[in-house]
Amino acid sequence: MNGAHDMGGMQGFGPVVAEPNEPVFHAEWEKRVFALTFAMSISARWNTDLMRFVRENRHPAEYLSMSYYQIWFTALEAMMKERALVTEDEIVAGHAFEEGKLALRILTPDGALKMLSRGGPTERDGSKKARFSPGDRVRARNINPLTHTRLPRYVRGHVGTIARITGYHVYPDSNATGAGENPQWLYSVHFAGPELWGQETDPSISVYVDAWEPYLEPT
Amino acid sequence: MVVCTLCSCYPWPVLGLPPVWYKSAPYRSRAVTDPRGVLKDFGLTLPADTEICVWDSTAETRYLVVPIRPAGTDDWSEETLAELVTRDSMIGVGPPRSPQDVR
Repeated sequence: MNGAHDMGGMQGFGPVVAEPNEPVFHAEWEKRVFALTFAMSISARWNTDLMRFVRENRHPAEYLSMSYYQIWFTALEAMMKERALVTEDEIVAGHAFEEGKLALRILTPDGALKMLSRGGPTERDGSKKARFSPGDRVRARNINPLTHTRLPRYVRGHVGTIARITGYHVYPDSNATGAGENPQWLYSVHFAGPELWGQETDPSISVYVDAWEPYLEPT
Repeated sequence: MVVCTLCSCYPWPVLGLPPVWYKSAPYRSRAVTDPRGVLKDFGLTLPADTEICVWDSTAETRYLVVPIRPAGTDDWSEETLAELVTRDSMIGVGPPRSPQDVR
């Protein structure tokens, strides 16, 4: 979806301001939201791609006014309500009214460390032949799905060069809609600055984007 | 320079959780279109002919920058060299520490 989360190339947000000696979390509730999100994610009732869609699928004004962990929390709440793991009444009351539903898997402190160090591998086995090779010129398709996609707006319609084949990976556009992992070849695609931002652009800048095969067409 | 314009993907297992600026709209919007300006926000001005490549982490591949080895460190051990490496230099928004800072 063309939401406020797709920020590459937007203007007017002002300078990047780094906080000296920044703490990992800025409030106790942020730690809890981080932990809750992980504990719930391993209950296997949703996947990362669907969760990302729930986070970005909101009014742009709202998305831009919320902090990172506020967005995480609101999305977790929405997912849990949708999957009938919690009710609106329980959230308002701050405690459960019904007996808890059994999670499929339970996150332990040991498991949490392992999970964080392992990440969430998305590479899959596949025998399908890759359509493109390093050096090929490709155009990023002009797509505007209402659903989740990881093809940023600023590269759509533009021509780049395949830099590297990254592997055969879960396709988020499919996985986020519940249509299955539908793995596809993933490429690192190199775009020159002037191709993306116009001839006036500093030619010494360029951008690499990871793009799945269905995002690309030959030129 | 490494960014995630779509959310805030970051190499957690290596660098820990990202700072707030990495997740913020100013960084996510400008890194891909004005990386030189972003570097200036961090107090770093690179020569006009220095090529700047930006990696937008749009998939589950995670990126980090291996900082340039400062001059005069040829005989340094791996441990001492590691002291020069900062988080920001691995995101690609700052230089490594200078050798004088750690000796």
